[in-house]
Amino acid sequence: MATAHSRSTLRWLLALLVVAAIIGIMVFKPFAKTPSAEAETAPAGLVATTHAAVDTDAVAQGSADDEPLPDLESLSSLDTDKPPARRKLDLQHWTTEQGSRVYFMQADELPMLDVQVLFAGGSSRDGDQPGLATLTNAMLNEGAGDKDAGDIAAGFERLGAQFSNSSHRDMALTGLRSLTAPDKLDPALALFAEVVSSPSFPQDAFERLRNQLLASLRYRLQRPAALASEAFWAELYPEHPYGSLPEGTPESLQQITPEQLRAFHQQFYSSGNAVIAMVGAVDRQQAERIAQRLADAMPEGPAADKTPVPDPVEPEHTHIAFDAQQTHILVGQRGISRHDPDYAALYVGNEILGGSGFGSRLMEEIREKRGLSYSVSSSLIPMQAPGPFMISMQTRADQVDQALEVINNSLDEFIEKGPSEADLQRAKRQIMGQFPLSTASNGAIVGQLGAIGFYDLPLNHMQLFMDRIQALSTEQIREAFARHLDPAGRLVVTVGPVIAEPETDQDDTETAPDTLEEATP
Amino acid sequence: MSRLLHPFSFLLLTLGLSGLGQAQEQRQTTHEFSLDNGLKVIVREDHRAPVVVSQLWYKVGSSQEPPGKTGMTHALEHMMFKGSENIAPGQASKILSSLGAQENAFTSRDYTAYYQVLSRDQLAVALELEAERMHLLSLPEDEVMREMQVIKEERRLRVDDNPNSLAYERFMTQAYMASPYAQPVIGWMHDLDRLTVDNLRDWYELHYHPGNATLVIVGDVKLDEIRGLVERYFGPIPAGPVPEQKAPLELPDGGERSLVLELDVQLPSLIMGFNVPSLNTAEAPWEAHALRLLEAVLDGGYSARLASRLERDQSIATSASASYSAFSRGDSLFMLSGVPNESREISLEQLEQALWEQIEELKANPPSVEELNRVQSQLIASLVYEQDQISQQANRIGQLESIGLPWTLLDKDVETLEAITPEQVSDVARRYLTRERLTRAHVLPTAKDKETR
Repeated sequence: MATAHSRSTLRWLLALLVVAAIIGIMVFKPFAKTPSAEAETAPAGLVATTHAAVDTDAVAQGSADDEPLPDLESLSSLDTDKPPARRKLDLQHWTTEQGSRVYFMQADELPMLDVQVLFAGGSSRDGDQPGLATLTNAMLNEGAGDKDAGDIAAGFERLGAQFSNSSHRDMALTGLRSLTAPDKLDPALALFAEVVSSPSFPQDAFERLRNQLLASLRYRLQRPAALASEAFWAELYPEHPYGSLPEGTPESLQQITPEQLRAFHQQFYSSGNAVIAMVGAVDRQQAERIAQRLADAMPEGPAADKTPVPDPVEPEHTHIAFDAQQTHILVGQRGISRHDPDYAALYVGNEILGGSGFGSRLMEEIREKRGLSYSVSSSLIPMQAPGPFMISMQTRADQVDQALEVINNSLDEFIEKGPSEADLQRAKRQIMGQFPLSTASNGAIVGQLGAIGFYDLPLNHMQLFMDRIQALSTEQIREAFARHLDPAGRLVVTVGPVIAEPETDQDDTETAPDTLEEATP
Repeated sequence: MSRLLHPFSFLLLTLGLSGLGQAQEQRQTTHEFSLDNGLKVIVREDHRAPVVVSQLWYKVGSSQEPPGKTGMTHALEHMMFKGSENIAPGQASKILSSLGAQENAFTSRDYTAYYQVLSRDQLAVALELEAERMHLLSLPEDEVMREMQVIKEERRLRVDDNPNSLAYERFMTQAYMASPYAQPVIGWMHDLDRLTVDNLRDWYELHYHPGNATLVIVGDVKLDEIRGLVERYFGPIPAGPVPEQKAPLELPDGGERSLVLELDVQLPSLIMGFNVPSLNTAEAPWEAHALRLLEAVLDGGYSARLASRLERDQSIATSASASYSAFSRGDSLFMLSGVPNESREISLEQLEQALWEQIEELKANPPSVEELNRVQSQLIASLVYEQDQISQQANRIGQLESIGLPWTLLDKDVETLEAITPEQVSDVARRYLTRERLTRAHVLPTAKDKETR
């Protein structure tokens, strides 16, 4: 019942800074992922599950196998081998004259349309100007044609339409949600097309956004999870475009000019580099016309080159001194790309290991058995080039050594032995059960379609992926883990008080959080 | 090459649309019934996808906790996952997850809620598990004590190592002088340290009864089938005494309060909060609705006053926002907050001055009809958008019922807000955004942080 608020990612960040209202009035139990992992995950929401809140029934050391199931009437009458019913998905795909790839599903139940336009124009295209992609994306709705930011915002809001934009490592995203009544949808789409295709990058707005971005960089310095994540990506991708912070650095932001944003937009927000996803109450003909109009409006240009494959790195433990009660821990290494044939095996293995909250091995070992952390999870982030695999948690500073030992042992054991047959069966059933939930809303489907398009996957990708998962053996998962997650490539990043790291130079103990020392014991 | 789009070029696109305007008006079928033991059940049918969300809301929140036992409600929420008579600790979660279900729980100042999202065929499992822990919770000592360690880690993560959360927590202790909303939901660390299993058990016995709960089910279900399932699993639970509820009230004229907090923040910030009524405590409901519109005029989108004036035109704020929650059991706060624009060396005092100018202007001159229309358009659209998510629908219903208001308010919300006049918005600004209702916090970097910047 609150009125609709639409804000850019940047505005949200700064607004949350001040009033952490949610934290104050509502405390969730925990299936939340560790913030650091979440924040850097590309929104590739793709695939069978929303990562949000799911648990495997896989249990560490197969202990659940010995645990008799309770005498539940409801459970005994349920055929758990039968796949649950799912929403009918009539997915469609075509390409516009200019080469924009379009993905569409008609959904007439609600009088609304979701449009997502994705470009291969994330921060991995920054070159030697970190922050370029982020600023370009954030500037889209700050001026277009002769409209300024206020005109654009009022234009959408008057129609009840919601504009969204965000930029990540692989992709730049723009989105529109509108009612489908013609007097709403037509002007909303016209404005959306103008904002996405013809931003004017006015100087005053540019300086304002740059100042906001500089402020948000300062704000990062008080957040240990953000520092850990930044260090992890930098260590893992030293000579690769994934290694720099999408938000840029204070130095790089000072050098960027509106001219560079224009050039970046011209090159990457082009019709040949665009994927258009739509779900809502329009028919195929209307959808084709909408997509064509959007593509017509965009600068012409080819698809961007593929992101290069990163080189392997040496294992290392980086500690960042930070004055706090807890230490944040990230353990991980280079994982796989979205196109890797082992994706399904690693996906399922990761769910069993720590990707699925309660019941996953790491949650059992770290939280349930030892009470070491509120949140612990592993995540596999398949990107256009090989993305990271990472385990993240936080714990009271004096428990770091114990936590690291448990993480390393759990991971080593999983790589060596793989999941048990019972683990795998439960994971398969779980993933099958999650599928209907991940395609229940228009918002979820448009996200899936966008990712399918962005990573150039087949239209029946979701079903193929399900089938591939159901066919997996424990041995295939073990082999895939052994193949991709060699312990010799494992990085560790810790951010916290120095007390937890006896090897580190004790002189750093009093270091203030914003004069960070990096030590590598 | 970029081509400008003709503004009318989209008119052609949607001529083929028909009948969709009506869908916007339609209300979803919603049913309501109660069991003999007092459990209230609300069922909303949404047949778009074969999924369902089940939420059980208890009318117990942190504001009911006595001194010395803060954090007890949230701790009990964690313990609800630690097993019941026939279910081992953690086992319910494992069963649900093996089916692919999503589940979680949340605690607020007014309520505690548990939910499962799952395939409609599996709903019975969720209900059977939920019913059992309503009256047969185990609370095993060893599990409880270990979970308390987890909760303390949660507090460290969310609050103690997050200086802005810490500032907010302290701010609330001053903004509420009489109301128990002053207490943090997660509890003070020194209270978590001394919380016992017996405390938790007593709290459970007091509040976890069918008559103190609302079950909300939204999804691809039919009333008859739900009635049977709910009766089967929740029907046998004894009624039990329903604890008395008293709305947390605040002093109307507590006096101007000010605090300065030096914390490990990088950026200074300003928090202002005015003691105002909620929809529950307002003398007349229109006051709360007018406050909602006041919030929207100031911060309902990027074209609203704070963003367009303070952030863009005047460049005074790097960020400025307003927020008001009308939907609480007790008296609420109208909050304004912001980060001053340091690149122009704006001080917290100047930022506050700029916020006051916006307030005074609204006191003197009602918002324009155009502004209110814009707010209204957003609201009408968001009611449609919310229907895309069954969980969001269930949240709205459950929240209203749990603070003592009927869910039917949802269906009247557009009309309700439409009836508020611009003059009424000015009126509530004059009445409630006053000095004697104000608490102000200046959150500043510590001297140490300043030096090293």
